Amino acid sequence: MSKSNLKLICSALNKMRVSCVTARSCHFQPKFRPPYWYAPKERVMSEDMLTQENRDFIEEVRQDKLNLQIAMESPLAKVEAQEVAEWDPTTRRAGLIARKIGNYPLWSKDGKKFQTTLLQVVDNHVIKYTPPEEFKPMKTTKLNWREKRKLGCLLIGSETIDPSTVTKDYCGLFSSVGMLPKRHLFRFMISPHAKMPTGTPLFATHFRVGDYVDVRAKTIDRGFQGVMKRWGFKGMPASHGVTKTHRRPGNIGAGGQKARVWPGTKMPGHMGNRWKTLRGVQILRMNTKHNILWMLGVGIPGETGAMCYLFDTILPLRKLKTPPPFPTQPFVEDLPLEYYDESIHRFEGPTITFEES
Amino acid sequence: MSVIRKSSLDILSVGKWILRRDCRLLSAVPEKVEVAEKAQEEIEKLSGRKRRFNNPVLEYRHVYPEFLPDPNPKWRNSLREKMERADMLKRRSQIDIPEFYVGSILAVTISDPHAQGKTNRFVGICIERKGCGLRAEFILRNVVDHQGVEVKYELYDPTIQSIQVLRLEKRLDDKLYYLRDALPEYCTFPQDMDPEMLPEGTPVPLNPVQVKLKPKPWLERWERQDLKGVSNIEEHLKEKDRVRRELRKTPWEKYDLMKQYRKTIPAEDQTEIWSEVYNQLQQMRVSRKKLSRKRLFTTPKPQLG
Repeated sequence: MSKSNLKLICSALNKMRVSCVTARSCHFQPKFRPPYWYAPKERVMSEDMLTQENRDFIEEVRQDKLNLQIAMESPLAKVEAQEVAEWDPTTRRAGLIARKIGNYPLWSKDGKKFQTTLLQVVDNHVIKYTPPEEFKPMKTTKLNWREKRKLGCLLIGSETIDPSTVTKDYCGLFSSVGMLPKRHLFRFMISPHAKMPTGTPLFATHFRVGDYVDVRAKTIDRGFQGVMKRWGFKGMPASHGVTKTHRRPGNIGAGGQKARVWPGTKMPGHMGNRWKTLRGVQILRMNTKHNILWMLGVGIPGETGAMCYLFDTILPLRKLKTPPPFPTQPFVEDLPLEYYDESIHRFEGPTITFEES
Repeated sequence: MSVIRKSSLDILSVGKWILRRDCRLLSAVPEKVEVAEKAQEEIEKLSGRKRRFNNPVLEYRHVYPEFLPDPNPKWRNSLREKMERADMLKRRSQIDIPEFYVGSILAVTISDPHAQGKTNRFVGICIERKGCGLRAEFILRNVVDHQGVEVKYELYDPTIQSIQVLRLEKRLDDKLYYLRDALPEYCTFPQDMDPEMLPEGTPVPLNPVQVKLKPKPWLERWERQDLKGVSNIEEHLKEKDRVRRELRKTPWEKYDLMKQYRKTIPAEDQTEIWSEVYNQLQQMRVSRKKLSRKRLFTTPKPQLG
């Protein structure tokens, strides 16, 4: 009896094939799908039970590598002047990765006060260049933009970190080109003749004082917010018989034929933590020692300490008119410590007086 | 001989100072402050503890409060603070920004873009001092032609040509906004007021004057703010106000150590900051003092005719 049962089960199992298994097809693609080359960065830290000697040895090796990279000469120095292509207004240069470090005022020479945001360019290096033919970005459903533009991809990293704190996969991105891993990475789409060799350091002098840049960063995460904070609605009165609707949106749609809420109606929801680009921000001052840029205005997204990405602006009236440092400004020993815009008053300068004209 | 002469000179100057203080308008009860100081000393003796920070450098936090950054950790960044301090020192090398407190009487001269080739001088009592770094600002108040006038100045604004302290003193409160609702004579100062010099080495005097408020309506609910510099606040209150004041009291806040900690910069951070700027500030002080002495002892030119 038991034998026959077993046979029955076996025959039933034989009939089942892998090909018969139907999977539910997903019609809606998720908004973000990591590309095939995506390497997760965070590592689970574990206690490795290393002896103190071994720890010291690892630290020593790390320091040696770091010193080697610091001492490395910029590869641009070897490139001869003739090989470097000329800049023209249609060229797209590389950008920079910077950290927002705070705000403080500057004064112009006619006594006006300008609020500025300070951005520090932290230890930027070129990691890799991928020419346009080889560059296969993440597939998107809608448009094949690669047909339209012939732009290469320049990978730039910022802030060198200890290789033991990140995953092996992530380290592989860097070790394949002989660099130490970086904390922040960004891909800049550039014209092929604006490429730079691996290991080129980038400084704040990549831009000039008076230029306009676009700043891309993530806005401050404010969580789930109501309509008053998120969309600036007025709310309803505090008194005069108003009950329980002081901060509510009120009416959200009409009845009649179109008895529904229209798409895009402003409602409560998650606010902030989105990518935003502030375009056409002027550089007012620059420190070459600490690589700090003073940007006009306080509208740069993100909180203090957030990373932001700087590009040459695409606004037609503020585009670069004269050739900038191309492909970038190499390291020069005796640069002046500070550059100021002509309109900006220097703090060490004499008190402003208005002469009678 | 010389010692005697020196001591007699000192006595003279102190005597002058006391005389002037007594003659000063609205400064009636100076004993009160001394009592408070004595009480504190006694407490210290009783508890047998020394003051925790007797570092003289830390005393600069009263003289130059704007060199300390905002304690909110969301806005702090060591590099930015360093750049800011460097810029402040650069500006201070151009203009003498003296030591002053809320309650001091200042004269500020600025260059005015709407009156080119001229300067604009305003005398008033400092009713508020706030902001840190290059954003530091203070408000001067005066009554001009029976009309209260307040001007907000930024400490590091490059259009400020000079800041002169006419009378260096402190008042009983941190903010003197209640002067807006006080009788006008408490903040009326002549525009041609002469600077009063304090003998060297004296501590900053505390003016224990208590102002009289005008009847309601007021700009703020002064009765809830625990003000020491107002004498007649109870006269204008109704029973309702007193009840609400009691309801609004937060007596537990003085025990909230975290709240205090979040509002202040820790002493370790402060020593770092002051060690960075101390030398330059000290040099500026000394050189300014020398200059002012030189100015004092210039021989007057013989008048012709």
